[in-house]
Amino acid sequence: MTWLIILSMAAVVFVSRHLLLEPKLPIRLSKNTLTFLSYSAPAVLTAILAPIVFVPEGQLAISVHNPYLTCALVATVLAYVTRNTLLTTVLSMGLFFILY
Amino acid sequence: MSATESISVTTTKTKSFLAGGLAVMPLTIAVIPWGILAGSFALEVGLTAVESQAMSAIIFAGSAQLVALGMIKAGIGIGSILITTLLITSRHLLYAMAMRTHISPLPLKWRLGLGFLLTDELFAIANQAHHGDKPIQHQFDRWYALGGGLTFYIGWNIATLLGIVAGQSIDNLGELGLDFAIAATFIALVVPTVKKPSILVCVVVSLTLAVVCAVFAIQAGLLIAAISGMAAGMGYAKFTNEDSKVSAASNSKNDHSDSASSEHAHSVTAHSDTSRSVAAHKDKNV
Repeated sequence: MTWLIILSMAAVVFVSRHLLLEPKLPIRLSKNTLTFLSYSAPAVLTAILAPIVFVPEGQLAISVHNPYLTCALVATVLAYVTRNTLLTTVLSMGLFFILY
Repeated sequence: MSATESISVTTTKTKSFLAGGLAVMPLTIAVIPWGILAGSFALEVGLTAVESQAMSAIIFAGSAQLVALGMIKAGIGIGSILITTLLITSRHLLYAMAMRTHISPLPLKWRLGLGFLLTDELFAIANQAHHGDKPIQHQFDRWYALGGGLTFYIGWNIATLLGIVAGQSIDNLGELGLDFAIAATFIALVVPTVKKPSILVCVVVSLTLAVVCAVFAIQAGLLIAAISGMAAGMGYAKFTNEDSKVSAASNSKNDHSDSASSEHAHSVTAHSDTSRSVAAHKDKNV
């Protein structure tokens, strides 16, 4: 069963990456579809990161004692000001492992 | 072709390949804790070492892997796992659409290879490399992309292996806070994409619903939050007719930070947003 999950997930992921690179496929996504998809990366990435940050132990933790939240705020400011992925990631993770 | 020419062509390819590897190195380093988590969490969920490594080697999609592992752990069926995977991976459709002009004329082995290696990170460096006045239509370099993609692939798999080895000897690796690496990376990827109010609406809706669903332990939280966020962003853009007045909007409606207004407006004009550049690519193709 695990292998079935792994292989079918691999197929779904690969098709999503490869499909629109195929020249023979006369694919034309409508403008609405493209607009909808343009929100996919921020929406999906946020939906994955938000529970890690706000609900680290299964309960809502909006507090300065939640290092996930404080470091995420630091990361947000760093990303906003510097627009540098590595700097943001390394500095906020460094701070996190000091606080955690 | 003379011998010297062929050598210089080979050198150029090698240079591009190495340059791509170098460009993706920071992101590869940032993904290490996350890869360790993917490997150790897979063991914890009950996968064998080989299955755990195979996830990274065959699927090669960090967020989908970790979310799927959480679902396997919770005993959720394969159908739901695949639907969630489809949603998480749907952003790759857009990346492929944007790179279609460069990659689709290449031979099949290149299309398959670069398609397999197409991640958030590869997309980021492939675009960064050719930013500025000339967007990605110009001088797309297949060797550069291959070098970046392969480096990232190898880094991800080594990190996973580290996690598998460490997970076998250290208990509770998951409690070391490695999951913050995911949050930090995604924040670093998401924040620069918030270039117009509708994307902010999308992020806020997605964030709020994801947190609410997590608090109430609703399993489909990711689906609910992400789709609602996408719909809210698109709805807001339609309702306010955002695309036609995007620069005006970023000046007047940008109330979340004072100092940001000018930079914000600048970034809107400097980098065309993804949907527009994709639309442009599409027009070129048809």
